[in-house]
Amino acid sequence: MSRQKRSADDFAEEVRAHLELEADELRAEGLSDEEAHRRAHVEFGSVSTAKERFYLRSRIQGLDNLIRDLRHSLRSLLKSPGFALTAILTLALGIGANTAVFSVMNAVLLRSLPVTDPTRLAYIRPSNAPRRTGTINSRETLSYAVYETLRDQHPGLSNVIAYVPLSGSKVAVRYGSQPEEAEGDMVSGAFFSGLGVMVPHGRGFTEQDEKDHAPIAVISYNYWTRRFARNPDVLGTTLYVNGIGLTIVGIAAEGFEGLEAGGSADFWIPLQNRPELNAWGNPLDDGKTYAANPTWWCLHLIGRLAPGVNKQQAAAALNPLFQRAAYIGLGSPAAGEKPPTLSLEEARGFPGYSEEYGRPLRMLMAMVGFVLLIALTNVVMLLTARNAARQREFSMRLALGAGRRDLLRQLLAESLLLVATGGVLAWVFAKMATRALGSWAQIESSLAPDRTVLAFALGILVVAALLFGLAPLRIALASGPALSLKTSAATSNADAGRSRGARIMVAFQMTLCLVLLVGAGLLIRTLRNLENTPLGLRVDGLVVFGVNPHVTSIPQGKAFYRDLIGKLRELPGVESVTVMDSRIGSWSSNNGDMTVDGNLPDVPNGSSRTVRSNVAGPGFFTTLGVPVLAGRDFADSDTETSPHVGIINEQFAKRFFPNRNPLGHMIGTDDGRYQMLVVGIVKDHKYRSIDEEPIPMAWYEYAQIPMSGRMDVELRVHGDPLAILPSARKVVQQIDPNLPLIKPMTQRAQYDLTISSQTLFARLAGCFGLLAILLVATGLYGTLAYRVNRRTAEIGVRMAMGAGRGQVVWMILRDSLVLTAIGVLAGIPLAFAIGRALSSSLYGVQPLDAPTYALAILGVTIVAFVASAAPASRAASIDPLKALRTE
Amino acid sequence: MPTQENDDRIALLQGTLDILILKVLLLGPCHGQGVARSIQRQSEEVLFVDHGSLYLALQRLEDKKLIQAKWGLSENNRKARFYSLTAKGRAELLNKTSQWKRLTRAMGLILEPQGEEG
Repeated sequence: MSRQKRSADDFAEEVRAHLELEADELRAEGLSDEEAHRRAHVEFGSVSTAKERFYLRSRIQGLDNLIRDLRHSLRSLLKSPGFALTAILTLALGIGANTAVFSVMNAVLLRSLPVTDPTRLAYIRPSNAPRRTGTINSRETLSYAVYETLRDQHPGLSNVIAYVPLSGSKVAVRYGSQPEEAEGDMVSGAFFSGLGVMVPHGRGFTEQDEKDHAPIAVISYNYWTRRFARNPDVLGTTLYVNGIGLTIVGIAAEGFEGLEAGGSADFWIPLQNRPELNAWGNPLDDGKTYAANPTWWCLHLIGRLAPGVNKQQAAAALNPLFQRAAYIGLGSPAAGEKPPTLSLEEARGFPGYSEEYGRPLRMLMAMVGFVLLIALTNVVMLLTARNAARQREFSMRLALGAGRRDLLRQLLAESLLLVATGGVLAWVFAKMATRALGSWAQIESSLAPDRTVLAFALGILVVAALLFGLAPLRIALASGPALSLKTSAATSNADAGRSRGARIMVAFQMTLCLVLLVGAGLLIRTLRNLENTPLGLRVDGLVVFGVNPHVTSIPQGKAFYRDLIGKLRELPGVESVTVMDSRIGSWSSNNGDMTVDGNLPDVPNGSSRTVRSNVAGPGFFTTLGVPVLAGRDFADSDTETSPHVGIINEQFAKRFFPNRNPLGHMIGTDDGRYQMLVVGIVKDHKYRSIDEEPIPMAWYEYAQIPMSGRMDVELRVHGDPLAILPSARKVVQQIDPNLPLIKPMTQRAQYDLTISSQTLFARLAGCFGLLAILLVATGLYGTLAYRVNRRTAEIGVRMAMGAGRGQVVWMILRDSLVLTAIGVLAGIPLAFAIGRALSSSLYGVQPLDAPTYALAILGVTIVAFVASAAPASRAASIDPLKALRTE
Repeated sequence: MPTQENDDRIALLQGTLDILILKVLLLGPCHGQGVARSIQRQSEEVLFVDHGSLYLALQRLEDKKLIQAKWGLSENNRKARFYSLTAKGRAELLNKTSQWKRLTRAMGLILEPQGEEG
């Protein structure tokens, strides 16, 4: 404030002068020299305190004022604990919920990979992979031959890095004697150095490690913490992966969890070339690992752009090279084949996740935004109401000479106190909510709040603090010093204009509340529809787990499963046992064309020929409880040597055998190499997920087709399905002590996972709806209570003039009902818009669902009634005489 | 704000000290000790001026450009910091004085209502 700062010396000089002048005067009054000095000092008081105060004033301008203001604010807040508590809790809930949702959104959609300069990294993505190749994802994965070419020559890129998981889910590991499972990736030698991920303990990989297929591993910080309790002695010890011993040589930097979508890698190993450690945990294809197989495009590639090169330029430089490399080992392209091309995509956030969770998260963000708006307006209304009641106090202070700036400072101090307390609580709440949200959304990667989240939360808090400090200022200043002298409650408070603001805010809150309730209602109805969808199978009593046996030949694989099924059937409590290739209810399916009686079937224009297929063991449909409509289920008597048999569903029969009996016809793979006799037709049922529509399906018999490797085992048991797992685990480990059960769970839980994002969405929306109702109720109550308080005198007069209690109650109720009606009217079109935006997330319910709207309106009205009841009854119980006496 | 309960002197209300300082300075430039003395004398020793607060108030008024200060010599040739009113300070004094008069008159009406018209 002071333009030229005075020095402390200058001030000391002034004090000294003061003392001398005082002493002079005292001497003139006849005191002795010594006595005069003494008295001068006594009169002045503590010189050092004065200097200190001057020092504080000039150095830390206003700090003592601030402390005084804060102390004063604390006292004044403690005097109205109800107000303080409501305001602080409202803030904590509003800001906490926002921070939590923002945290998740930040982790899933906004946060860059924890690597050096992530903006220069790009995923290398193919399109039009050559025919006869198989991919993991036709727009994401590439062959080893392509990787090798691009690794050695990489125009436009500083380096090219490959990574591929050791399994579709988790891989069997052993440390010490206990078999477990963990997520692991095989990666390039340049993985850590190229991405710029630090390996603070031990070392990363080198290109020599990749060449040598070195049996070493780097573990993630997370895995180190979770599994090894951050024991530094873990370096140099051996981790067995699928029975292969790997020496742990490093621990990656905290926060790095690999590049896989939504997953979190526990360890990384250099690219290997041995059957036990094949990419994706697949068995060898024609005796070849991923590295030797040009038809299997299974590697993810990522590259770092060379300095000064953009993505388009790099892609243009890479493409000629890629188009040659794509056909290595495949011969020349067939006529009319589209040339394969590469593109580079920004390596920001977690690939794949943004599609699945992006929309719901953005909708949630909008919803919590509404909640925050309600919370903030609530606190503003409460503050306004409270400060209006304090007008006399402000006015008295102005009259006594306090400046406007002093009042502003005081108000800001109060707001600061509220916001700071609310902020601390909000942070605690946000941390808990984030954890809950993360586990619901099955996000395994770290959700710890980072700097962005912190900045977001602080930003809201600062806005809130300013808003709360400034909003009541107008009222405080409008008071003016003269007001303190007016004594009539009626005259000092009857300022209609000011309450209009509060009324608009109440109506606005009603609007937001209605929109939130409609949104929540639609999503909750969606969830109920999904939960009540019949699956078409008896899902209770089913338990499922995966096994991935180490087998090197197909007969060995068949023997393994025959043995396993036999042993599991003998367990007490087990009713039936079967196996399948794709686990049902896990989103995965195998789609393709099939021949019917040797030819690809003709389909009417526009309809699809696609058939979904699975490989199933004996008694598959009996175990699942899917009705067999005609023919029979698979049986133990179907073996490799017996005639090949297949089973189809109703949809298959309807589409490809219209008006014919499918039993006895032959169906087969699209290349016609594998043919099987249709022996059964089963009822359509939910296969991949709960919210799907049935499509034609066919099942192969597992013992008859040439495949082996990972399968899922389904058990129907008596009693609690999960109780069978320990004995099932024992059976599996009798056969091979290295085998863990992969993702064991009840079949019901497996299906529920397919609607987990809807469940999460609906539950959160429900929570926010409830929160909105609570906030709106407190806000409305606060405003009405305050208005009734102000109108005590008026109500007294009315009652003295003969108004009945009913009339008084109605007067108050009418007030809030009018506000509700305005809010609802404004809210309906907004709710339409929200409903339409939600429509892709709805199941079995229209965006304009009348019952939902009716319930939401009813909800808002009930809130208005409940919140008005107490103030209305208080108004009705006003004693007219007493009310008038306060005049 | 310190109060001295052992004598009849009244500690100044917050904010009133500023008006008093301005009023004293209206008579002409004065140093801090002089201002303190004047307030105490003119109030017939009823008002007590806490010197620490006085100098803070002087500093505050100076910051607000209501008064200005420069070093000079007192009558008995002592070096002292002399304060004087600025034009802004004069205006502020007028404003505050009329406010204060209204307040005290109103207070007076309530506290001693005899002989005054309502």
